[in-house]
Amino acid sequence: MFARVLTLTAILALQGCSMIQPVEAWQKGTLALPEMTFDDDPLERGYKEHTYTSKEASSGGSAVGGGGCGCN
Amino acid sequence: MSSADKNLSVQRYPFRAMGSECEVVLAVKNQAQAYALAQKAIAEVLRIEKKYSRYTSDSMVAKINQHAGLGPVACDDETWALLHYAEQLHEQTQGLFDITSGVLRHAWDFKSAVVPAAEKLDALRNKMGWYKVVLQNQSIALPDVGMEIDLGGFGKEYAADRAAQVLQAQGVSSGYVNLAGDMRFLGAKPSGEPWMIGIQDPRRQDQVVATLPMIQGGLATSGDYERFFEIDDKRYCHVLNPLTGWPVQYWRSVSVAAPAAVVAGCTSTIAMLKEKEGLAFLQATGFDFLAIDSSNQVHMR
Amino acid sequence: MAVIKHNSKLPELGAALLGAAMTLPCIMLSAQAETAPEKGTLSFKYLNYKERQQVTSNAGSSGAWTDSQSSASAYDDRVHVKATATSVLLPLNGEWSLSGTLVTDSISGASPAYHTQSLSKLQDFRRAVDTSLTRYLPNGKLALGLSHSGENDYISRAVSLLATQASDDKNTTWTAGVAIQRDVINPVNQIVASEKKRGSDWLLGVTQVVSMNDIVQLNLGHYSGRGYFSDPYKIYDERPTDREHQTFQARWNHHVAALNGTSRLAYRFYTDTWGIRSHTIDAEWVQRLGSEWRVAPQLRLYSQNAARFYVEVDPRIAPFPTSPPPNALHFSEDQRLSAFGAVTMGLKVTRQLSVDTAVDFKVEQYGQKAAWKFNGLGSQGLAPFYARSIQVGITHSF
Repeated sequence: MFARVLTLTAILALQGCSMIQPVEAWQKGTLALPEMTFDDDPLERGYKEHTYTSKEASSGGSAVGGGGCGCN
Repeated sequence: MSSADKNLSVQRYPFRAMGSECEVVLAVKNQAQAYALAQKAIAEVLRIEKKYSRYTSDSMVAKINQHAGLGPVACDDETWALLHYAEQLHEQTQGLFDITSGVLRHAWDFKSAVVPAAEKLDALRNKMGWYKVVLQNQSIALPDVGMEIDLGGFGKEYAADRAAQVLQAQGVSSGYVNLAGDMRFLGAKPSGEPWMIGIQDPRRQDQVVATLPMIQGGLATSGDYERFFEIDDKRYCHVLNPLTGWPVQYWRSVSVAAPAAVVAGCTSTIAMLKEKEGLAFLQATGFDFLAIDSSNQVHMR
Repeated sequence: MAVIKHNSKLPELGAALLGAAMTLPCIMLSAQAETAPEKGTLSFKYLNYKERQQVTSNAGSSGAWTDSQSSASAYDDRVHVKATATSVLLPLNGEWSLSGTLVTDSISGASPAYHTQSLSKLQDFRRAVDTSLTRYLPNGKLALGLSHSGENDYISRAVSLLATQASDDKNTTWTAGVAIQRDVINPVNQIVASEKKRGSDWLLGVTQVVSMNDIVQLNLGHYSGRGYFSDPYKIYDERPTDREHQTFQARWNHHVAALNGTSRLAYRFYTDTWGIRSHTIDAEWVQRLGSEWRVAPQLRLYSQNAARFYVEVDPRIAPFPTSPPPNALHFSEDQRLSAFGAVTMGLKVTRQLSVDTAVDFKVEQYGQKAAWKFNGLGSQGLAPFYARSIQVGITHSF
């Protein structure tokens, strides 16, 4: 419940944010840099998610599905 | 599908045009196709060079200049559009951008490195002034003998945009056209990453002062280092203010990224011409820029 | 000739300059549609992960662990993982792509039977395959994924569907995903047999380009599962047969042109029906050096509280296992469900060998300590543990 409210608030804030200037196609050079994306190294992300879920109680965040493992 | 079809490596096709080193860079599935596409783009650059060059006697520009003082010259659609573009720039900059200022090259000879006498400059300035030019019935008339138009202010950038259009129409979505630093991009590298374009240090030819990531649009640079001479540590460059007749001094180079190379090129030229007011001008356009002033300070957005 | 659509807040001057150029013929001011990848990619990454936990120097591996700073100069080995991952992305005829990843884990070392005591050896081998078929649409994509993971005592299968939809100017992208999993566990110690676990999760997200140097992403996720959640290799472990969790994540990438670097920040809030709440903060700075190198130091801070049914170490009984409270329906002495904080420090170096090929190397040090919980009230009696991880990878476009 708390997480839902937090997300909704954040999304509404983002939409109403007057600091957002629409970025045109010719300005998107920087945004195409791999470090500006959110998943530039899927294999690293796979290792990261798997190792953290095997030693901490939390999981999830930005992806769905994926194979589980025996680290109940 | 043969392995050649799947090969999407980047192909480079250097060529010489408009007095400079140029290049078409593209990545397409079929390597044999890449050569043919590049040749089409290069042909378009050469067509524009031939049609609007100041130097060839049968170009459109030469024809218009030869008729100065002798009446109107009929223009085709492309020439008419370019002249109207020049007119709009003249209006928007209150006369600072003026394609009749080419005559000043008779005063500023960068090979002989001599500062012209005031009388020579005044005489030439009498032969300038876009406000005198008559545009009607799809024809242009230069009223005084000795008046000239020169499309060098955006000709190269226009050619870069047109050549890029030729490639895009053929389905190229990765590559760019580079005409001596005036560039138009067609899309990111095949990997999705941007093309990293180095901006030359205005005082050190082999050094890069910054790298700009580009995927679309145009990138153009105006600088005081392309043609110039120096006397007593004062640099006289080829960017001449039509209202004074003198070279500009404030900026060493101005690079602009805008939707098209012509827009980028005119914006950078106008910023150079506005000298100290150039920074506020660049800010006001909303385009991204990298400008280096005479104390070597870099201004960016 | 289609003209670019300007929801442009280009200032008047810029719009005027652009407007003038629009009268010029054929200079291509139309926006291009997003297309499927045209190049394939092949990637490989090796991971070497080694855990160890702190013990008292004179008590041996099953001795009591104390909070005292003066003790503990020796370490006990815990889990050691060597993994290889290979992935391929193949573009198919302009509107589709197919990708597949194969991961092979070789697990050895030891794991505690309760709390951080009684380390028992383990040896396992896991192989996981993920495949995904993506269809590209004018402003988005649809991806169908299948996963299968198997080890000698556990099989996990999942199906997922992901859809993205971008606005016309491509500055806003909405994401929605659903997945279902079916797992079967057959522990080697045969404490239970053919236990099942079924789960489903969904994800909603929005990615927003805020400026040419800023991009933000918000994600909301929910998981719900029923079945066998206990760990059969641990003693005193009887967990609820259902679990639900929710996550909220915010990420922000910010490029600083003057420094040629990018900051990448992320925060995730997690809460579940077992009473666990956690906070994760990730911070990374990617520094470009020249045109070939990227160096990225990374920091991760994590804090969680204990599950409602977690049984704290009773120091009077240690090192013997603490008995769960009488009449407790659910209980667990698994360190992973205790209250603790964790810090990870890492460094990743990437080198572009050519336009198509890059290699990367990453080294990371992880530490998990009850005392590092954000409000300092971590579980007691648990040995801190540390892990160092090394990754080496290569990726090639073809």
